[in-house]
Amino acid sequence: MLPRTIGRAVILLAVEAFFFILFAAFMKTDETGKVIAFLLFFIGLGVMFKKWEKARLTLTGLFKELKIVAGAGFVAMLLTLPFIFQASPYLIHICVMAGLFAILALGLNFQLGSTNVVNFATAASYGIGAYASALLAVHFHISFWLGLLVGGSLASIFGLLLGIPCMKTKDYYLSLVTIAFGLIVYILLNNFSWTGGPNGIPNIPPPSLFGHSFKEPLSLFGYQLPFQSNYYYLIFLLVGGSLFVAHRLHHSRVGLTWNAIREDEIAARCHGIDVTWYKILAFCIDAFFGGVAGTVYSHYIGFISPENFAFIVSVVVVTMVILGGMDNVFGVIIGAILLTILPEKFRAFEDFRVLIYGLIVVTMLMFRPQGLFPQKMRIYKK
Amino acid sequence: MRSEGTRNDSSGRRSGVAEIFQQLINALLLGCTYTLIAIGFNLFFGALNVVHFSHGDVCILGAFMTLILYGLAKLLGLVTFLPGYVFVPLLILMAMVLTGLIGTFFERVVIRPFRYAPLLMVLVATVALGMVVRETVRLSFPHGSNPQIFPRILPQTSFQWEGVLIRLDSLIIFGTTIFLISMMFLFIKRTRIGAAIRAVSQDTEAAAMMGINIDRTVAVTFLIGSVLGAIAGILIGAYNNIIRFDMGLMGGVKGFSAAVVGGLGNVYGAIIGGLILGLVETFAAAFIPGGTPYTDVFAFLVVIFFLIFKPSGILGEKVYEKV
Repeated sequence: MLPRTIGRAVILLAVEAFFFILFAAFMKTDETGKVIAFLLFFIGLGVMFKKWEKARLTLTGLFKELKIVAGAGFVAMLLTLPFIFQASPYLIHICVMAGLFAILALGLNFQLGSTNVVNFATAASYGIGAYASALLAVHFHISFWLGLLVGGSLASIFGLLLGIPCMKTKDYYLSLVTIAFGLIVYILLNNFSWTGGPNGIPNIPPPSLFGHSFKEPLSLFGYQLPFQSNYYYLIFLLVGGSLFVAHRLHHSRVGLTWNAIREDEIAARCHGIDVTWYKILAFCIDAFFGGVAGTVYSHYIGFISPENFAFIVSVVVVTMVILGGMDNVFGVIIGAILLTILPEKFRAFEDFRVLIYGLIVVTMLMFRPQGLFPQKMRIYKK
Repeated sequence: MRSEGTRNDSSGRRSGVAEIFQQLINALLLGCTYTLIAIGFNLFFGALNVVHFSHGDVCILGAFMTLILYGLAKLLGLVTFLPGYVFVPLLILMAMVLTGLIGTFFERVVIRPFRYAPLLMVLVATVALGMVVRETVRLSFPHGSNPQIFPRILPQTSFQWEGVLIRLDSLIIFGTTIFLISMMFLFIKRTRIGAAIRAVSQDTEAAAMMGINIDRTVAVTFLIGSVLGAIAGILIGAYNNIIRFDMGLMGGVKGFSAAVVGGLGNVYGAIIGGLILGLVETFAAAFIPGGTPYTDVFAFLVVIFFLIFKPSGILGEKVYEKV
C-alpha cells in the first residue's frame, strides 16, 4: 500500500512541478507573440482537461486523496519563486501586486459572491487602510505591524458605518450607496490638507522585522534576493491567512447563512436568520481585508495618492471576483492573479487595459455568468 | 461636472438678495441637467425594473457626438455655409438621434440578455458597460484623457438685471429643458406608444397579454431616455465649454441620485429630485465657507439621508416585497 501511495505522490508532485515551471516560464516571457502562444497553450490544456474525462477524474482523485502532499508541494514551489525570479525584481513585484489584489478579491467575495451584496466601495476600504497606516507611520512613527491592525480595524469601522445605511436598502439602491461612499472617500482624500490632497503621502517608511528592514535585500541560504522578496513572503503569509479565514468561513454556519441570504433574503429571514447582522458582518470582514491590503500597499510602494484608490480599482476587484467564480475561494484568487499578470504581459496595450476589463465583465456575464471556476455544491459528510 | 462655483466669483460683491437669486439661477440650471438624466433612469426603471448604470456615460456621449459632428461640419465647410440658427439645432438634433440610437443599441445588446437574470448581473454589466463607453471615448480622441474644448454653439452674451448676471445661454438651456420635458410628458400621456410605455411600467405581463409588443416599447423607452440624456450632456458641454471622458460617471451617479430622491420610477419625481440636488450643490458651494470642493459630498450625504429615512423617495410609492 505504501509504495503505491508514494508513487501516486510522485506523480502528483510531477504534475504540480510541470504547471509551476510553465507558470514561471510564462512569467519570464515578455514578447507579446510568445505570451499569446502560452495563453493558447493554457486554453488548450483547459479544454483537453475538460474533454478527457479519465485524466480529469484521475487527477482530481489524486488531489483529493493526497491533499496534504499536494498542498505542501504547492507551498514549497511558491516559496522558491523569488529564487527563480532573482534576477528580475519586476516579476516579484507583479507577484506581490497579484497577492494584494487576491486579498481584496477574497474580501469582496464575502459580499459579492456569498451574500449577493454588490459593493463598489472596495477602493474606499483599501484607501482608508492605506492612509491610516501611512499617516500613523509618517507622523507618529508607529510600526507597520501595529499599522496593519489599525488600518484593518479602521477600515472595518468605516465598513460598519457604510453597512448601516446599506441595511435600509438593497439591490440598486445599495450599489448607489456604495458608489457614493467610494466617491466621497476619494473626494475627501483629494481635498483634505492632512492627507496631502492630490499629492498624497510620500516617504512612507518600510516595515522592519527583527531589525531587518524590508527595503534591504533579503539573504537566504547564501542567495541575495531583491528587496521585493521580503514583501513577497509577507504577502504570501497574508494571502495564506486570508485564504484560511475565507475557507473556514465558507464552510461554517456563517458562510451557509450568507448563501441563504443570497438565494432568498425573505426566506432566510423567515427561517430566523438575522439578515441585518450577517450583512453587516460581511461588510466589516470585507473592509478589514481591504484595510490590510491597503496598509501593505502603502508601505510597500512608499507613496500613496488618491488616484490609487479611485472607482476603477473597485470595478477591477469586482471583475476579478466575477471572472474567477463567485463564492469559490480558489477561483477568486485565480481571477485576481490572472487579471494582475495579464495586463502586465500586454504592456504594449496598456491604454486599452480598462476597456478590456469592461469587455471581460460584460462577455463573462453573458456567456459564463458563473465564472471560470464556479462554486461547487456543498458536500456534508455524515 | 460643474464649474458654476467659480463662475460667479468674478462678478464681485452683490447684495444678499441678488446673491441668492444668482445662486438660484445656477441651481435651476444644474437641476435641469440632473432632471434630464434622472428622467432616463426613471423611464428605464419603470419599463424594465432596471437601473442602467451607464446612462450617465450615454448622456456625455451626446456631448461628444456633437463635438464629432461639429468637427465634421467644419471639415465640410457647413459652419460658414449655414446660418447659426439653422446649423446649431440641426447639429443638436443629429447628436440627439445618434445618441438615442446608441442607447437603444446598448439596451438590445447588454441589457436585454439579462432580462430574466438576477438583478446583480445587469447591475454589474451596466457598470462595466459604462467603463467600456468611457474608455472608448478616451481612446478615440487625441489626448482623450484631457478635457476637450466644446464648440461655442450657444450665444455668449449676458445681461444684468437688478444686479443679477443672466447669461443668454442659460436662458436657452432652461427653455429647451422645459420644452423637452413637456414634450415628453405629452408623448407619454397622449400617444399610443406613450400609453404602451405606461402600461408596461405598470405591469409588464398584463401589458404583454393585451398585445403590446414589449421589446419595441422598451426600445422606445430607451430611445426617449437616451435622447433626453444626450440633451443633458450637450447642456453640460455648452455651459462649461469643456467636456471630459469621465464626466459620465459622476453625471450618472448624480442623475440616479436625483431619481432616487424624487422616487425611482416616477417621472415627475425626477424633476423634484434634480432640483433638490441642484439646490444642495449650488448652495453648498456658495454659502458654506470652503465648501466648493465638497459639493459632491454634500449631495451624496443628502442622498444617503433620503435612502435611510425615505427610501422610496419623495413621490415614490412604498413597495412591499413579495416572496
